Amino acid sequence: MGETLVEMKNIYKKFGEVYALKGVDFVIKRNEIVGLVGDNGAGKSTLIKILSGIYLADKGEIYFKGRRVHINSPKDAMKLGIETIHQDQALVNEMSVARNIFMGRELTKTLHLLDKKKMREKSMEILTDIGLHLKSPDINVKSLSGGERQGIAIARAMHFNAKILVMDEPTTALSIREAQKILQFIKQLRNSGVSCVFITHNLHHVYPVADRFTILSHGRKINDIMKKDTSIEKLEQLIMK
Amino acid sequence: MKRIIKIIEKFYSYRPATIFIILIGLVTIFSVFSPNHTFLNLKVITSILRITPILGIVSIGVTILMICGEFDLSVGSILAFCSMIMAILFSNGMNVFLAAFIALIIGAFVGMLNGIITVKFGIPSFITTLGMMMILRGVVLLLSEGMPISFHPEQKHHIFSSIFVGNILGIPMQFIWFLRVAFLFWIVLEHHKFGNWVYATGGNKEAARAMGIPTNKTKIICFIIVGILCAFSGIIETTRIYSSYPLQAEGMNLLAISATVIGGTALSGGVGTIIGTVCGAILIQVIDTGLLLLRAPAFWFRTFIGMLIILVVIINKYLRRR
Repeated sequence: MGETLVEMKNIYKKFGEVYALKGVDFVIKRNEIVGLVGDNGAGKSTLIKILSGIYLADKGEIYFKGRRVHINSPKDAMKLGIETIHQDQALVNEMSVARNIFMGRELTKTLHLLDKKKMREKSMEILTDIGLHLKSPDINVKSLSGGERQGIAIARAMHFNAKILVMDEPTTALSIREAQKILQFIKQLRNSGVSCVFITHNLHHVYPVADRFTILSHGRKINDIMKKDTSIEKLEQLIMK
Repeated sequence: MKRIIKIIEKFYSYRPATIFIILIGLVTIFSVFSPNHTFLNLKVITSILRITPILGIVSIGVTILMICGEFDLSVGSILAFCSMIMAILFSNGMNVFLAAFIALIIGAFVGMLNGIITVKFGIPSFITTLGMMMILRGVVLLLSEGMPISFHPEQKHHIFSSIFVGNILGIPMQFIWFLRVAFLFWIVLEHHKFGNWVYATGGNKEAARAMGIPTNKTKIICFIIVGILCAFSGIIETTRIYSSYPLQAEGMNLLAISATVIGGTALSGGVGTIIGTVCGAILIQVIDTGLLLLRAPAFWFRTFIGMLIILVVIINKYLRRR
């Protein structure tokens, strides 16, 4: 396990009168897969939405490679190499594959006109790289399967040089076979030097691939444990506590 | 034969196809059944080309905004407000070009106000623009004291009228403006980065935001586009009829939404085309004129449009499910 890439310290976030996070610390190291686990409402999604610039923390600090950073927007997070695939919200169903891949980071010619040809070619290239073979980059995302969509989101993140890939429930809506494929892929990513944060409440998916688990409950971190020091049953008990 | 079927299939997968076929069908029906086939008379066609752009230009704005996931019910009021300001400024001796320019700026400003209120306070644009519709209509009535204000720029600046409502080779200038506006925004939606932002914002706002698209800014810009196009349409209409009147363009909001929806744009956002809306706006005018020529009572117009809206949405839903 390598150096610390991201360190979130003492993060607080309040929605109205309710605290979603009450002083959470969270660490991501180089070349590791962290399972961020906990029951519904534990604050997992809120924490990663702060990391990816969707929410601003009320209090707390974020360090990237030891340097204090301020992530005020999704663009800030992307610049650091933090790519996030949000649950059910990664893609626009009514748009084509190519338009989705370059959404917000369009390839353009003069006057910001889209370089459609390049976008289409690049899209196919990126997808082929991760082993996803689609007929055309012009098909609407809505006609694809859940696994294919997840694949597109991952391919997009990889293409934009993700150093840390954050995935919120990446396997929940998938068939067993598709989920296995995604898990395989996450393992490959670690080998190629990308760190992953895997958020889920399905321990059976995250346990085989993760190196370490951070457990949240009611807005607090209640445990941080290496896989070698625990078992799936023990994790379950920790979450239920 | 197989090839023909393939071409037909491809055509049908294109969203505005439905509306295009209905348009051709209706034009044929009206041409055949109007007494002495007057529908194909050059005068009738020119008249359609002359009137369509008023609704059409506004509808293009409404389409872009609807793709972006928002509504504007205040379009008719913005149009009337901007026209009225232009007419008043002009009648007080201001240069007509400057007066028209100020009308455009005011249109943009009202659109921006609609956008900022909707986005910053997080209220449905239905509400914001419903309020704006009534506010501006009230202001227009106050300004005009209920009376029309005449507008005769042709006496001082003949060129002003020629630019907006003249003819080129027998084609009314306003229709050429309509096509220009349609082309411009077709480029924007299909071939510009901003178009991608509009579709993404309307299709899945959260996903767009997570990818770094400034969704609020995108929406506000769409509202501004609507405001400018309303003002532009108002300038044309006021120049065409030589006056601005307090109830100008009343009811245009629903007609513009009709043209947009008939043209295949989804009320839920994220889906729609400019070409569809152009056909939708022409279709509405064709029906209006066609029924008139068939000597059907004028009341049929609304009934017909109403049936068409429902029919087209059902067809589109069926086509999309495939």
